[in-house]
Amino acid sequence: MNKSSLSRLLPPRLCLRGRAGPGSSSCLPPCLFSPPTMPLDHRRLRGPEESQPPELWAAGTGGVPEKEEEEDAAPQDPCALRPLFARAGLLSQAEGSAYVELGGGTKVLCAAWGPREAAEPGAAAAVGGGRLLCEFYRAPFAGRGARRRPGSAAERDAEREAAAALREALEPAVRLARYPRARLAVSALLLQDGGSALAAAISAAALALADAGVEMYDLVVGCALCRSPGPAAAWMLQPGEPEERRAVARLTVALLPALNQVSAVLGGGQGSPPDDWAQALRLGLDGCHRLYPVLRQSLLRASRRRDAAAAAATTTTA
Amino acid sequence: MASVVLSEAEKLYIVHGIQEDLRVDGRGCEDYRCAEVETDVVSNTSGSARVKLGHTDILVGVKAEMGTPKLEKPDEGYLEFFVDCSANATPEFEGRGGEELGTEIANTFYRVFSSESSIDLKSLCINPREHCWVLYVDVLLLECGGNLFDAISIAVKAALFNTRIPKVRILEDEEGSKEIELSDDPYDCIRLNVDDVPCIVTLSKIGYRHVVDATLQEEACSLASLLISVTSKGALTSMKKMGKGSLDPESIFEMMETGRRVGKSLHIALQKILDEEESLGTSRQKVGFLG
Repeated sequence: MNKSSLSRLLPPRLCLRGRAGPGSSSCLPPCLFSPPTMPLDHRRLRGPEESQPPELWAAGTGGVPEKEEEEDAAPQDPCALRPLFARAGLLSQAEGSAYVELGGGTKVLCAAWGPREAAEPGAAAAVGGGRLLCEFYRAPFAGRGARRRPGSAAERDAEREAAAALREALEPAVRLARYPRARLAVSALLLQDGGSALAAAISAAALALADAGVEMYDLVVGCALCRSPGPAAAWMLQPGEPEERRAVARLTVALLPALNQVSAVLGGGQGSPPDDWAQALRLGLDGCHRLYPVLRQSLLRASRRRDAAAAAATTTTA
Repeated sequence: MASVVLSEAEKLYIVHGIQEDLRVDGRGCEDYRCAEVETDVVSNTSGSARVKLGHTDILVGVKAEMGTPKLEKPDEGYLEFFVDCSANATPEFEGRGGEELGTEIANTFYRVFSSESSIDLKSLCINPREHCWVLYVDVLLLECGGNLFDAISIAVKAALFNTRIPKVRILEDEEGSKEIELSDDPYDCIRLNVDDVPCIVTLSKIGYRHVVDATLQEEACSLASLLISVTSKGALTSMKKMGKGSLDPESIFEMMETGRRVGKSLHIALQKILDEEESLGTSRQKVGFLG
């Protein structure tokens, strides 16, 4: 092979902004402040183990910025539902997928896989039906506060707790008895946390399972509520991130609207009489009923899109 | 959770009995089993308690250690929960089998104690931003006989009531080095106020009715249960639905009312026992582990 053809096989050269030192590899951008003769080893410099965002120190010095935030947020009607965007059938690699975005900025992407052979046949055979495995991942940049280190124990615990809550919300809706000795997997990824993250994840996971063609009794709709501090504060539907941070009590409910069965209740906070919690529950269930048509519409649109794509594919091949 | 294998006939028997408000051991739907509570059983801890509720046996030890406050709450101490499901409880917990249940229980307790009114964390602060008391609450499951959450919450409340935290002062020298001064009197200590600490009440839905304090067999018959934490004043601080089944909204409202009623009477009975034990003081006969 002569030299000219060899040069065509090489990948295109990247142009670098600074000058590369003699020891550093060409793919790393060189630091602009280092003298050209001294190479910086970028692989060893990881930064400090513990790092905090600067907002923690700024908030302690004065309450003025917080007050401004409160005045800016217009008083919201507690029963008003924020706009919800739901779309099913968008990932090509998963059998079913869904993306849900809430008005406050919460974005959840969920993928579901249909029945596969169970990994441990002993455990599944004892139960009789199939198994539902749920996973919940938060992107490290999802929260407004400090960046969560992806491998830390606290992060793993929080994810496991959210995955367990997701599984409890979805299990009553899926007909596991129809998939003996099989496992169904659902994976939720939280891209941005703008409040009501778990509720959005529940709705997205149910949509993804339905999109994958798993037999279900009904779609699960999730709704979150929170109560702000103050003696006569009312419960508010679908809080945004600032309201959730200031809240003294939070509640997430999941409902199967057609059957009117509650599949998950998860709440905590300041103590209040049962009537208060009952009222919050009623508000949440009402919100779930109102969100149900939106999710159904997105599922219908996704199946129409899939049919159209399949029809187009068969006409081109035929 | 540990499980028993029940035949269909046994399940029917339990379900039909509960419809008539008659459980297998003769209790009503809202009755607890006979519970034994004893505090100060382990001498190396700051506070400890042991609760026996039927066949469920729980041991809780509280150790108070000095640490740095969390960044978001610089003038408060905090609690750390750890639940260990030992293999003695059931063979399912051998090795890492009990880890999932342990983390679930610990997370539930973090949520129950997350409300600010349950325990006064500001009393655990020594120097804001620098030193505070961290209470490590370690729960050991010695035997699993159903209704774990209730028994553990009773034990945690009793252990916190029994906790004695030494009084400590931090002195600063001219160079800036800190010295810890412990008071000489071993009985001079801080006691925690547990009046607002909530107790968990688990209500299991069996058939059309719900029962309190389910045994292992009853838990196998119930598809869904509601976990409520109630304070002594009857306020609910947290709620969680557990299990594979779904619940009707009306039954949730009924369960909340029952939980509040049962929780209030549970608190009254527990406080009476704890005060009685406290009044006996050093003349109390310690039963120990084989009593």
